[in-house]
Amino acid sequence: MAGYKNIVNGDIRLMLGVLLLAVATHSPAKPGDAEQGEQIYSRRCVLCHSDEGDGLGPAAERLNPPPRDFTAGIYKIKTTGFDDMAPADEDIFRMIRDGMPGTAMPEWADVLSEQEIWDLVAYVKTFAGYEGEEPGEQLDYGEQIPSSPESIEKGKALYHDQDRCSECHGKDGKGNAVKRLKDDNGDRTWPRNQTKPWTFRASNDPKDIFTRITTGIPGTQMTSFAKPSSEKRLSIEERWHIANYVQSLAKIEQVVRAENTVVKAEKIDDDLPDSPDDPRWQATQPTTFFLVPQIIAKQRFFTPSNDTITVRALYSDTELAILLEWDDRTKSIPGNKLAEKISDADIGEDAVAIQLPIEIHDSMEKPYFGMGDANNPVNIWHWHSGTTETTEGISLLNSKGFKEIEKRDAATIGIHAKGLYTEGTWRVVMKRSLTTAESDKDLQFVSGKFIPIAFAAWDGSNSEKGSRHTMTTWYWLLLKPATGAKPIIAALLVIVVIFALLFFWARSRQPHRG
Amino acid sequence: MKIPRLLQAVLVLLGVYFGFILLFDVILKQVIPSSLLNMYMFFVVAGVFMVFTFTEEGAKELLAPIKALVEDPNNKTNRNIVFIILPLLGGAYTYNKLLPSFDAPVELRTIHPAPPASLKAYGKRYDILNLENPYRKFEKEDPERFKELIAEGGAVYIRNCQYCHGDKLDGKGPYAQGLNPMPMNFQDVGTIAQLQESYLFWRIASGGPGLPKEASPWISSMPVWQDFLSEEEIWKVILYLYDYTGHRPRTWGEE
Ligand code: HEC
Ligand code: HEC
Ligand code: HEC
Repeated sequence: MAGYKNIVNGDIRLMLGVLLLAVATHSPAKPGDAEQGEQIYSRRCVLCHSDEGDGLGPAAERLNPPPRDFTAGIYKIKTTGFDDMAPADEDIFRMIRDGMPGTAMPEWADVLSEQEIWDLVAYVKTFAGYEGEEPGEQLDYGEQIPSSPESIEKGKALYHDQDRCSECHGKDGKGNAVKRLKDDNGDRTWPRNQTKPWTFRASNDPKDIFTRITTGIPGTQMTSFAKPSSEKRLSIEERWHIANYVQSLAKIEQVVRAENTVVKAEKIDDDLPDSPDDPRWQATQPTTFFLVPQIIAKQRFFTPSNDTITVRALYSDTELAILLEWDDRTKSIPGNKLAEKISDADIGEDAVAIQLPIEIHDSMEKPYFGMGDANNPVNIWHWHSGTTETTEGISLLNSKGFKEIEKRDAATIGIHAKGLYTEGTWRVVMKRSLTTAESDKDLQFVSGKFIPIAFAAWDGSNSEKGSRHTMTTWYWLLLKPATGAKPIIAALLVIVVIFALLFFWARSRQPHRG
Repeated sequence: MKIPRLLQAVLVLLGVYFGFILLFDVILKQVIPSSLLNMYMFFVVAGVFMVFTFTEEGAKELLAPIKALVEDPNNKTNRNIVFIILPLLGGAYTYNKLLPSFDAPVELRTIHPAPPASLKAYGKRYDILNLENPYRKFEKEDPERFKELIAEGGAVYIRNCQYCHGDKLDGKGPYAQGLNPMPMNFQDVGTIAQLQESYLFWRIASGGPGLPKEASPWISSMPVWQDFLSEEEIWKVILYLYDYTGHRPRTWGEE
């Protein structure tokens, strides 16, 4: 589905994207048959977009963004001018074919033929009475300015000039809101995190970004920057520079790679870093996992804002330190006026948690990934960001499923945490000694063993509290054992032995000389 | 030209080795575990050695090139090369074998375990063997009603299941990639097409935690739907799964 397209190779996908775009803009609209389209629609699309096309299918209130209301005739992704409400047929075609990443709208190219998609385009247009209309004029792209360090530099200046884009997308483009944004229907919208281009509804190809800046994103508060009436208006040339800058923000190293399921902790001889911005973290290997909303038990949660978490780890002879890093658009401090303005008055603290089994079985058996089970309890280290009255803190929970939770004092066990929020990113270090006094209640870390580990995060400004949060299922933590000298010594020995054997064999068989 | 016997033997071994890989990894699409492959190859090597050394001449002929290499003084350069390469290969192999592995352990689980004889849910006991979808009969008796029931099942599905199993029922929902094991792909012929409706009722009502140990209940993210859905809703969503995919549920009659 479109939501979490896994970009394994950013460059290849980009090239493919450009190619598809080229194909899309060059293949002229084929006449679709609206009646055929209705048939397909009633089988494939009604559950979300509804019979009437108003987007009020049964799942609407559980989806953010909700399915598009076609009767309003507003399309987010379009290549017609900002003064033309109707999109081009090719725009609708493309969104149906490719889907909209980061939303429930899937790609349909895998199950529908091109003709079927054109039929759908014809049918979908009828909801807003667009069927008879002349196709709108394509917006003016001028001459594309290829990306270059100079162009990116210019784009960066324009991006921040008068807070043009940074007002919503933040200084580093992570969408860290300084404003509470809503779409035309009053539903909460989050400015896009531009460092994660795989969440773009269209793509981060400069031509696509140029188009979004030019038309705005209709139905949301992102308006056109080409409109003559806009105070922060941009020329064609300036829009290309910004597009190149936005494209350069992509952090491909934060892409989730399905094969990376192990957080590998390197051993260091020093004391472990206490702080998230200790430079030694830079040398460690990050592993990134998807965060999925808790839609499994108890009070379910369907509209997450956090989507991935990146984990690093280090250990010494006595301690283990884990650095958790995740993009969160809001620093949620209950009691803080600005934080409450961006969100709701009843905001909660941001939080993050690590879950570990108390015992590691030699068989495959683990505790149930959702807070353990009656036979297999888990340790949960739960850090919370603090309010205007209290400081940040960490608590320790021993849980046998969410119905049986024992709260313990983290400080006496020796668990410490330190969090830091900078420009849309939380980084939290959690530390504990490798062993504790209560070995029947705490996991004892040993190197060389694969330790199940899972994570959870809460965005307090997105009404995430208690069982409403995002999480991962079980992955692995490995304290990398020192390789030691054994392999190299053994290898040398084997070399010497084989050589000696060959040598003596050959000598014994040679006719003696002289 | 006659191929030297030693080369013959080597060719046979290579042929068998890559044959195995072709058969398992490429044709059957099931990567053969290296321990199994090693065991097979041990017997193959032993067998080939026995066949090639069955007669004394045969054995002599097989070993002739090796003998010549070691014993013939004219082969000095070749011998020196082999004498350097062989020990190095041995060393490299030993080194690699002894390096600790950092690959995640492989977790094997039974995907379709045998269901229990009976299921406790909604305060009663269901006999899975004789359990039938109470709405299935409307398919023939009242097609209009049946269509409505499917639509109601669709609403249950889109509100509850599509996040994982996908709105195309292909197991690629918005959050599927964050889950391991992945949500089932109902379009695949290996899932609901092979199962009875009673089996689905058991799986949906009791979810991941309801699985027996061999299916690793602790990693399945499949929710326990008796906590959220009524019995009727489960039967309707089952109708929808079969209707959308075009599969037919398995029945006792077919077996
Ligand atoms: C699982 C729910 C779901 C299904 C099924 C679905 N959509 Fe969507 N669709 C969405 C959502 C959610 C959006 C809004 C995304 C956004 O606003 O960013 C959307 C948006 C759209 C858009 C608007 C694109 C734009 O530029 O704004 C079109 C067109 C569309 N869908 C067509 C279809 C068609 C045709 C089908 C059936 C083949 C379909 N959808 C099936 C959820 C769905
Ligand atoms: C008023 C707030 C606001 C401002 C100012 C703003 N944006 Fe946005 N932007 C948004 C919102 C909200 C979204 C997400 C819309 C949605 O829900 O799909 C967005 C989405 C985007 C996207 C994602 C498009 C896609 O395909 O998903 C890009 C790229 C973008 N903005 C670029 C910019 C640039 C460049 C600027 C400055 C020229 C800018 N924005 C200014 C609010 C804003
Ligand atoms: C949070 C994700 C999630 C949701 C939501 C979810 N499932 Fe599942 N489901 C899974 C996973 C993962 C599996 C595979 C593991 C297993 O068999 O337990 C699965 C397996 C199944 C199976 C077993 C299929 C087989 O071949 O054995 C059925 C049937 C099923 N789901 C139906 C449903 C229905 C119906 C719903 C909605 C009412 C639903 N699921 C919602 C994750 C989910």
